[in-house]
Amino acid sequence: MSPSKSLMSDSSSSVALKPIILDILPDFTISGQRCAARIQQQIDLLLLALEALELGASEQMLATIKHLNLQEIIQNRIVLWRLRSTNPWRRSYTRDTLTLEQAKVLVIIASYRVKPLTVQIRQLLLAEQQMREKGLPVSCHFLLAEYLDQFRAHFQSRMNPRRAKVSVYLGSEDELNELALLLLKQLLFCTGTTGMQRFWISLFDGEVA
Amino acid sequence: MNIQRQYSLPNCTLTLEGLRDSMTPTDPQESRPLLSILVNAECRFVGVSQSLHGGRVFLENLVRTVSAYAQEYLSGIPHPVDTQSAEDRITLEKMPDSYHHRLTWYPSQGDRNPIEIVLTTVQLFDLVEGIDQFFADSQTLPDLTLQLQPISRRYRPPDEPLAQRVVPATLGIASLAVVAIALFFIPVPDVREPEPELQATPTQPTPTAPPQSNSVP
Repeated sequence: MSPSKSLMSDSSSSVALKPIILDILPDFTISGQRCAARIQQQIDLLLLALEALELGASEQMLATIKHLNLQEIIQNRIVLWRLRSTNPWRRSYTRDTLTLEQAKVLVIIASYRVKPLTVQIRQLLLAEQQMREKGLPVSCHFLLAEYLDQFRAHFQSRMNPRRAKVSVYLGSEDELNELALLLLKQLLFCTGTTGMQRFWISLFDGEVA
Repeated sequence: MNIQRQYSLPNCTLTLEGLRDSMTPTDPQESRPLLSILVNAECRFVGVSQSLHGGRVFLENLVRTVSAYAQEYLSGIPHPVDTQSAEDRITLEKMPDSYHHRLTWYPSQGDRNPIEIVLTTVQLFDLVEGIDQFFADSQTLPDLTLQLQPISRRYRPPDEPLAQRVVPATLGIASLAVVAIALFFIPVPDVREPEPELQATPTQPTPTAPPQSNSVP
């Protein structure tokens, strides 16, 4: 009796096509290439900022995927890498597009990973505020400098300098620092009670009918 | 019975005071009574002496404005300002340095001047978080809900800013103007009527040779 019961439950879980956790984010239609490219770029940059914040973040992401039982959608690190390579700015841009489920999974992973880093993010942003009040460059603060250096290093090694926007960022350290800080603030908003939903919905701003 | 709910964040405290509706039955399982009638709402920031406070309209305006602004901040696409009732109007806008946000409250009671508070992004986040915690709390004003929605394509700013799109057209018109001015200074050549020539021109060519048909009889 019990083996058949477990078999039943297994088959029923495979019939349920997508994990329930995906329902915490509302469904929208990804309308067209432009919308998809924007979403893919935003998500990948946010994950890039997360990696700059925490050493070994990509391992943690894989652990989170396992923890949340999302392996059905992201089976291994290669799939994760391929999904992130949908960012048109990447050197390894694959010209694939994310499905709604894949995009949701990446956003869910990002907001799960960012929650434990709330204190660190607040400290960094407080440091930024102090430096600005004193009129000093943000990269002079030792905590901030570490994050900004990491972010710039990741950005340089992964983004395609032949893209116009990327080359602008690569040409100016200040611009890249500003991008890193903007992403840090977006990460802060993701740590909130409805932060994940807010970020997800903001991705579709100006893209729905 | 007066009920107080407080949502405290490091930089911002949102306090709601209200009453329980005596008509609704109390759930004995629920340890916290249901706050269903709002008497006073107060929003206070650490290090800022002024506080924002008001009734239900104030709270509704506050949560709507702040929530829309948070989405605008995340996406970078301006959200249309929905019409608020004239009393206790609240606006939130980006300051020119883009690191601060200006929260303005136009109190309706008396002739008080509008109150402006400049927020850092972390303070703004705390305000948003306080509001989100309030919405997540099912025991406080359950009739007030927030529906987050992406804004329509109509409000999307053009991919290239107006200034950039105007450049080619301006360049064209400007070069036309420059050429026109340059040509203006070139003297107009005066048209000289061809003078009638004095010597008589032979109107009929003198036949140099008699026609062939005539030469051969």
